[in-house]
Amino acid sequence: MIEVRNISRHYGKIEAVKNLSFRVDRGSVFGLLGPNGAGKTTVIKMLTTLSKPDSGKCFIGGFDVVADALAVKSLMGVVPQENNLDRELTAYENLLIYGMLHRVPDMAEKIRSCLSTVDLWDRRDSVVMRFSGGMQRRLLIARSLLTEPSVLFLDEPSIGLDPQIRRQMQDVIRKTRMDGRTVIITTHYIEEAEALCDRVGILAKGSLIALDTPDSLKASVGEHIVEYVNGDGKLIQHICRDRGEAHTIAQSQDCCVTIRESNLEDVFIKLTGERIE
Amino acid sequence: MIGGGWYPIFVREMLLFRRKLLKVGYLFSAMIVPIVYLLTFGLGLGRSVRMQGTDYLSFLIPGLVAMSSMNNSYSWVANALNLNRLYFKTFQIFVQAPIKSSAIMIGEVLAGMVKGLFASGLIIIVGFASAPGFSLTPLFAITLLLNCFLFASLGVITGMITKSHEDTATYNNFFMLPMAFFSGTFFPVDRIPEVLRAFVWIFPLTHTNVAIRKASFDSTALLSLGVLLLYAIVFFIIGSRLIKNYSE
Repeated sequence: MIEVRNISRHYGKIEAVKNLSFRVDRGSVFGLLGPNGAGKTTVIKMLTTLSKPDSGKCFIGGFDVVADALAVKSLMGVVPQENNLDRELTAYENLLIYGMLHRVPDMAEKIRSCLSTVDLWDRRDSVVMRFSGGMQRRLLIARSLLTEPSVLFLDEPSIGLDPQIRRQMQDVIRKTRMDGRTVIITTHYIEEAEALCDRVGILAKGSLIALDTPDSLKASVGEHIVEYVNGDGKLIQHICRDRGEAHTIAQSQDCCVTIRESNLEDVFIKLTGERIE
Repeated sequence: MIGGGWYPIFVREMLLFRRKLLKVGYLFSAMIVPIVYLLTFGLGLGRSVRMQGTDYLSFLIPGLVAMSSMNNSYSWVANALNLNRLYFKTFQIFVQAPIKSSAIMIGEVLAGMVKGLFASGLIIIVGFASAPGFSLTPLFAITLLLNCFLFASLGVITGMITKSHEDTATYNNFFMLPMAFFSGTFFPVDRIPEVLRAFVWIFPLTHTNVAIRKASFDSTALLSLGVLLLYAIVFFIIGSRLIKNYSE
């Protein structure tokens, strides 16, 4: 469904994305994971026609994102990282204009359905600037679903959401996937990537440093982590291939020890030596 | 008109405009500058001055209509586009919609024209109420529409190339303000020193002021209309290209 071939993008002297390549299968959820400034948003902007790559090509549904931009735009829905709702318009008007731009048929019914999905139908006539941050993000999600896009891009959709609404949003993403649509999500929430994504690409400083299923990525570093605080007050972590090795290490320590399963942040730390912030 | 993609952009602007109209402050701000000029130059100086064979107020009102249509068509589009592109990011939803760049251009320009015509309409009402020699002709209407179109197109160009909101004020101070004063709004351009006159004829507003005051389609009016049309086409093409090449 999506193919990215050797794309790069500079902003002045800063190389935001370096020679990036990956593929995303139809009907799957693909996560781009990385710390702030890793290049996730730049990748999304290039895939959603907002930004043109300096070199390389991107294809969505077989269409070149630059050369066949109109065809690509009719396939995609976008939840941007930065709120781009019209704050002086109502929730309904925001979806109405978006629907008109995308020539959505049966618009009234679809607007009702999308606003109901995110529990905003009762607030449809409220001006967006009176919405809380969480409500505005829900409205962005509703707007992106209005066109029933084949590919849904979500750029850090969970920022500023409380846990309940985050879970609601994750349910929407799962349902979108079950409908056979493709989802690309950027996040720096480890649990979110693990819970939602079929495959994960880990970005650091504009480069893709790992790409696989969450389970395979975790298995590649070791499935269990032994953690304890040493005499100097430093957190020590041992990555272990299996539970048996973890127990052996734990028993050799004479302080309080925790054994837990590894996660994608451990993968990131192993690959880069840094944490995802 | 190019697949109708312009229509949602126009509707959006009109929804926002309607909200602004409901605020008393907006109506006042749209009228304040031309009304101040009208009171100062028209009712103050105008009682003792005649210009081009008519009373000064009848000379001034078409100039104020031209200036007001220029300012409102231009400023609304330039400021809104700048803010929507750099701060509110709402321009992104146009760029990501399956519509052509020319459709975005048409929607923005038509919305700018409505705002320019609205502000002009207020001056025209004042003109009918205060200037006995003031009248509307087909040439007046065509010139006004063309003026609104070209300055709304210029507004798109400014809105697309400025790198911050402060930049739009800079363009305003260097280009729009001198144009408002030296293009024949308050006095005929033949009274400007000869050295400056060649520059003044470069300004599109000068040609608007010439054509809007003509009673019939004579050769001078047609020449000015031709210049305005040329500017309108050039500005429209540049604006469309800027939108097409937009990249964040």
